[in-house]
Amino acid sequence: MNRLAAKRISRQTWGEWSWGWFLIAPTIIGLVVLNIIPIIQTAFLSLHKSGDFGRGNIYVGFDNYVKMFQDAQVWHAVGNTLLYALLVVPTSIALSLVVAVFLNGKIRGKSIYRTIYFIPMVAAPAAVTMVWRWLYNEHFGLINYVLSRIGINAVDWVGNPKLSLFSIAIIGIWSVIGYNMVLLLAGLQEIPKDYYEASDIDGASKMRQFFMITLPLLSPTLFFVIVTSLIQAMQVFDVIYMMIDVMSPAYNNTVSLVYLFYNNSFKYSNKGYGSAIVMLLLLIIMVITFIQMRAQKKWVNYM
Amino acid sequence: MKKQLTAALTLGLIASSLAACSGGGNATPSASPADSTPATQTEATATPGNDSGSGEKVTLTYAIWDSNQEKGLRTIADEFEAANSDIKINIEVTGWSEYWTMLEAGATGGSLPDVFWMHSNEIYRYASNGMLLDLNDKIAASQAVKLENFPEGLNQIYNFEGKQYAVPKDFDTIGLWYNKTMFDDAGLKYPDESWTWDDLHSAAKALTKDDVYGVLAPMHNQEGYYNFVYQNGGTIITDDKRSGYDDPKTIEALEFYINLVKEGLSPAVFDDAGRGELIKNGKVAMGFFGSWNLSGFTENEYMAKNFDVAVLPKKEKQASIYNGLGHAIAHNTKYPEQAWKFVEYLSSKEGQERQAELGVAISAYKGAADLWLNSNKTFNIKAFVDMVDYGVIRPYSNTTATWEDKAYEALAPAFTGKATVEEAAKNAAKVMNESLAQEK
Repeated sequence: MNRLAAKRISRQTWGEWSWGWFLIAPTIIGLVVLNIIPIIQTAFLSLHKSGDFGRGNIYVGFDNYVKMFQDAQVWHAVGNTLLYALLVVPTSIALSLVVAVFLNGKIRGKSIYRTIYFIPMVAAPAAVTMVWRWLYNEHFGLINYVLSRIGINAVDWVGNPKLSLFSIAIIGIWSVIGYNMVLLLAGLQEIPKDYYEASDIDGASKMRQFFMITLPLLSPTLFFVIVTSLIQAMQVFDVIYMMIDVMSPAYNNTVSLVYLFYNNSFKYSNKGYGSAIVMLLLLIIMVITFIQMRAQKKWVNYM
Repeated sequence: MKKQLTAALTLGLIASSLAACSGGGNATPSASPADSTPATQTEATATPGNDSGSGEKVTLTYAIWDSNQEKGLRTIADEFEAANSDIKINIEVTGWSEYWTMLEAGATGGSLPDVFWMHSNEIYRYASNGMLLDLNDKIAASQAVKLENFPEGLNQIYNFEGKQYAVPKDFDTIGLWYNKTMFDDAGLKYPDESWTWDDLHSAAKALTKDDVYGVLAPMHNQEGYYNFVYQNGGTIITDDKRSGYDDPKTIEALEFYINLVKEGLSPAVFDDAGRGELIKNGKVAMGFFGSWNLSGFTENEYMAKNFDVAVLPKKEKQASIYNGLGHAIAHNTKYPEQAWKFVEYLSSKEGQERQAELGVAISAYKGAADLWLNSNKTFNIKAFVDMVDYGVIRPYSNTTATWEDKAYEALAPAFTGKATVEEAAKNAAKVMNESLAQEK
């Protein structure tokens, strides 16, 4: 009797388990095939001197890593990537938070504004970058034309090593605001109205409401947005790839880790070295994310 | 609950951060079975080859990187199709830099186009890894294709260990493009074959005005300082595969060239698109551009109206960088017979003459270049053919693409004035030699 019951329960559990596995299978399979296996392969490849067309890889141990740590360009790339993330993430989140709060209020034509802010996210990055390249063009660009009208000399936005990363960061900020805004808007709408009504009665100003109610209750969404946009910023490639060529004098001041990986792997056919660079990027992202996960206890409020 | 969700999402994103980058890593294991293909391929391909007689239509992919040539080549392909009703040619155009990424992915994954363009920068990698069909027997058996009808230097590029892996298609040289209107306004004589570096320099000085530069000396090798290096008796790569950037003659040439920028006679330009924009918008009076720009320049109203082309100026001797593409066939094409038929036609006297007549490119075939001269009445394109006599094959080795980029990185500070030309050139020699050492 007892054994029978145990069996019955376990069969039911089995059923539930297999249903569970079945339902998450698409995600799991996708994750394993598209993410986990490539990670292992990349780690494996980073220990090899790659042969042409994926043949004849020679095991070289940690040679690629040793070479990487001595390569000044890799450190330039680490610096550029971090600086880019530092420029883009706080600015874009601050701006999108402001936009989201305004668009959450009572404004005429809210949905039109929301659409407008979201458009850069929908447009293909390559196409967007082409337009920005024209805006930034030293000789024929719109920005320099406007500046010349008010008597400022032409600025080499892209080619000047001191400026180019900032020019690129502006594109990055502009294109990501809409996406962050949508996430934050969703978070804002989850905040119960009661808190605001109660604080209204207590006579709290709008500013105080923002800092005492909105910000703490938005912190889970904010945390998610910060973590994801940081990871995204660390992987910056397309904009830099479109704007800056290896020949550009600003190359060393703008090359990101992923761009360096791309050049080494595909242009110079040194996939082993390229893989090592990507492993470094993975390590950096993991460390940053780990710190963030730890730090969230200090400031994120889950309702 | 929510917290766990966030954590899970975050981890997922980290994982995907790598996935985006792992295209390279992916290739290795999947390609390893391909190691065995070349051996089995010959047997496998024999069957479809025989099938063709039965009237079944075969579609060949023909990959090229220059969209300017597509129209003319399409005409030639149409004519070929008309004569060979069982073959259809599908031309695929991919831009220069994406072309090589595409081709490499194709080679790794075993899906190369049937027929495609080859370049001196890349031939070694493809030939030494058995990615290309050995054409020796096919050429020997062919009535239409005789290698002696092509310039020896071009044949050599595509010959690896005695095997011919591509047949020359065309050649190109670099010319001096000058703005006739600006020369007239300044009362200067047009450039001709008697021009020396001094003439170039003084003309550039006379032509430089408020918002117009006399000359365009961009950081570009083939359409820039390589020409000057060889005119000065220097070299980029020595016969024993060492860098020539530290050769005093090379440095002297680079100094002359970069001085054009330093003296303000030329803007400092580093990107390809920028060069074209400047000359097409009348911002520079002279520029060095290869013969492959011809159709683009002819279509540009401003260029067609104001510009003409002459041979490059000389120093110790005359020189122009000279290069040529080749037609190669994939080692594992399903239709080697048909692919060869097409390449045979493209390389025959008839095909080469059609290419010249249509103005697609300067045909490599002996004598066909004269036909090309009639294809364009806008510019004095004879200059490009004249320069073949003293043309210098574009410097190359087994890893050209790598050291060319490294050299650019090293030379850029000289153009921006951050380093002296000598320092930059010696640095370029160093990085280039490091890269060359990897070849062995």
